Amino acid sequence: MLACRKILFPLALMLILGLLLASIKINALLWGQGWGLLASVIIIIALALLYWGFEQGRVSTREVAVIAMLGTIAAVSRVPFAGLPNIQPATFMVIIAGFVFGPRAGFMVGSTAALVSNFFLGQGPWTPWQMFAWGLAGTTAGMMPFIFPRTGARVMTAFCFLWGYLFGWIMNLWTWTGFIYPLNWQSFMATYAASFGLDTLHALSNAAFYLIFGPSFVKILQRYRRKLAVTLLPAEIREKASSMTGMLF
Amino acid sequence: MFEQFFYQEKGLFLQSLHPAAVLTYLGVLLVLALIFTNPLYLLGLLLVVVLTISAARGLATWETYFRLSLGMMLLVILINPLVVHAGETIIWRGPRLPVFGPLTVSLEAIAYGAAMSVRLLTIISVFCLYNLIVHPDKVLSLLARLASRSALVLSLATRMFPAMMRQLENIREVQVMRGVNFNAGSLKERLPKYAGLINILLLSSLEDSLEIAEAMQARAFGSGRRTCYQRDAWRPRDSLCLGGSLLALALAVYGQVKGFSTFAFYPQLGYLINSPGTIIILIITLLALSIPVVLSWGWQHWPYFKARI
Repeated sequence: MLACRKILFPLALMLILGLLLASIKINALLWGQGWGLLASVIIIIALALLYWGFEQGRVSTREVAVIAMLGTIAAVSRVPFAGLPNIQPATFMVIIAGFVFGPRAGFMVGSTAALVSNFFLGQGPWTPWQMFAWGLAGTTAGMMPFIFPRTGARVMTAFCFLWGYLFGWIMNLWTWTGFIYPLNWQSFMATYAASFGLDTLHALSNAAFYLIFGPSFVKILQRYRRKLAVTLLPAEIREKASSMTGMLF
Repeated sequence: MFEQFFYQEKGLFLQSLHPAAVLTYLGVLLVLALIFTNPLYLLGLLLVVVLTISAARGLATWETYFRLSLGMMLLVILINPLVVHAGETIIWRGPRLPVFGPLTVSLEAIAYGAAMSVRLLTIISVFCLYNLIVHPDKVLSLLARLASRSALVLSLATRMFPAMMRQLENIREVQVMRGVNFNAGSLKERLPKYAGLINILLLSSLEDSLEIAEAMQARAFGSGRRTCYQRDAWRPRDSLCLGGSLLALALAVYGQVKGFSTFAFYPQLGYLINSPGTIIILIITLLALSIPVVLSWGWQHWPYFKARI
């Protein structure tokens, strides 16, 4: 079982690389239609790997419940804004959750928010890509404290601003590989130029959300992170204690 | 507004299928939509999907999906002719642009854009069908065998989503009763009021999550092998649907290799029907894919048939 676990990760990476290399051949086989499918398959393998990592890690019951709750909050925060294109506090919620609870929890909150909110807003071929993009936002936010230990509000505002664009760019890859032909620089630039305005809106609203809500939300989450840490006493100490109290009587 | 997209139990035939059979069927529809390039095949596929949606009584929901995807379809139709210079039948010559070079619009590029937008609509319709006939819990219980912890996170979040929407509304009403007017003031004055709203939601729901964790702990969560609460039965109808999907997939791969289901857009539009094989494969594939619709019709109108499958 342990050997199987060790093999799985490099195996999946090999599979992704193999698919990328095979795309040169498969592309010819499917008459240039394979890219959208192939890109989605690679994204789904990456998602499966990340979920598998969560499955294998040591996660307490409390963490599971808090991750589910934060994912729901991020998903709910999408709904009131669903009518406005790209003004979504969800990105901001995912980023602060990852920032406080670490990369793995950040990924789970982001991908859960995407999947669950789409149960209510409509699932689509965009779901795996949104799960991936938001999961990545949470993961990178979780890595920020490790890379820059003195990350302040200013840096995080810039980080949120940047992710407004990154999220749009990842989603553009989906549109571009799936529905545009031919795949060349001109069509790439055209797709990205078409989304530039919406991405800017997303980035600006992210930065605004962090400026207004950021510090107080981070404070609340940090309080709960402290509450999560529970140390269980080993059973024998308790037995000793009860036998000692027994002796007293 | 969000109830419309969420699964609603209507006691339909399509909703009674085993999740594995339904997911295979929808997966095959999706793959076929992605590999077919022949407009006849794409249109036929769209027809089957829309028929199945109507059998699931979801045409009203589908209309919303259709309206949402119109924007993207237009984008695809517009971008394609502008950036593609591979077509030979040029119908309009425009000015020279800095990045794109000479602006020429060809008939082939327009045809390609139209075919791609049909594909986009088919894919989005498949997902509409998914929302109509698959209960999230069924998929999650299938997932729980592979990845129990992730499935638990997802099903907890799915269950809490509507509850949290209600809670948000409750908090807002309490704030209104205490004299907070959410509609008054400039944007700058209104934002702190919303900040308070979400602060309270965050605090109370995180407190709830700790209670959920304690309840799970008290019920011995994670202390041993998981037990199974509900098992889905595998019935003849599931085998029929699964068989139809696999047959359609095999035929599609055969048609793809033989070139029946492909279509050359560039440099000039090819022939829609190359050989009798094109029509034969198309008809058998579509029939295999419409097995669920036929079964659903028989299930409604024929009690004996209903009892047998």
